[in-house]
Amino acid sequence: MKVLVVDDFSTMRRIVKNLLRDLGFTNIQEADDGSTALPMLQGGDFDFVVTDWNMPGMQGIDLLKAIRADASLSHIPVLLITAEAKKEQIVMAAQAGVNGYIVKPFTAATLKTKLDKIFERLG
Amino acid sequence: MSIAMTGRISLQQAKSLVDFLESGQQEEADAIINEIQNPINSELFAEIGKLTRQLHDSLTNFQVDSRLNDLATADIPDAKERLNFVIARTEEAANKTMDAVEAIFPVVDTISEQVEAVKPSWAKLMDNDLNLTEFKSLCIGIDALLKTTGKETSHIHTLMTDVLMAQDFQDLTGQVIRKVIDLVIEVEDSLINMLTAFGLSTEKMQEKAMPKVGDNLVEGPVVNAEERDDVVEDQDDVDDLLSSLGF
Repeated sequence: MKVLVVDDFSTMRRIVKNLLRDLGFTNIQEADDGSTALPMLQGGDFDFVVTDWNMPGMQGIDLLKAIRADASLSHIPVLLITAEAKKEQIVMAAQAGVNGYIVKPFTAATLKTKLDKIFERLG
Repeated sequence: MSIAMTGRISLQQAKSLVDFLESGQQEEADAIINEIQNPINSELFAEIGKLTRQLHDSLTNFQVDSRLNDLATADIPDAKERLNFVIARTEEAANKTMDAVEAIFPVVDTISEQVEAVKPSWAKLMDNDLNLTEFKSLCIGIDALLKTTGKETSHIHTLMTDVLMAQDFQDLTGQVIRKVIDLVIEVEDSLINMLTAFGLSTEKMQEKAMPKVGDNLVEGPVVNAEERDDVVEDQDDVDDLLSSLGF
């Protein structure tokens, strides 16, 4: 399974990569914002996207919307891992078609639970 | 009206009044009576004089407060540098820590694999069910495990010390951030003084004002979640909200 981790902070990408590797995901690539991530997604056969919300270029919510709007990408599950904690934002992400929402700071156990749930639903 | 007024009427006014009445200039005489009866003009002038002095003093003080200039040209740029230092040091610490942890993972995995490798034979040995050939191979396995563990535990110890030392950023960044907080307090005081000097009430505005923390919706980590009702406090809140939406 090929995963794309999108976050503007390299340390957070590194943490997420380590956690994902521990959960058995070995094919992981990185992008530092939505506008770098989108062409990578369009060019490669990614199966899963983990993204931050607040990034300097294209934000996570806009990346999510772009993925859902692109017929060739719309099937890809997207997990938001973000410090954004406004109820309004969580509702917005849900309406945009997010598959999971993890609020920072988070634990390895939370990540595992959310991933299990996402892939269980997808079958 | 630059005449100093000690009583209700001046000698000059009295003389003019008599002159006007003697020469039959009734209107002019009445005007002087009005002037005497209506002291507002002189009070108004006194008040304007007072205000002018105050304004002059305020402006002078304002210019004298060169601290404002220092704040804008020296202290605030310095604070930016300090905050960048905090970002750099915390990032460095996070990377140092992750370097060490990432180096420990494979070592622990190796030890764990070697333990798993000897486990079946070891179990047989405990059950008195191990033949000589298996025993020899168990000895080789345990020998490898002991050697690996012996060597790698001291390696892990060194890496753990690196993790420990990487936490020294907390002391340094704490000091730097405290300095910046002092500056923020000083700037806050200066701004309030300025608002007061220009007669803009800050109390009224304080009630309405909400901090503007970010462009359109995005604000980063919430630092006062318990004081607000428009944000979630933890992952459970997020899950509850999502499930209430049918997620």
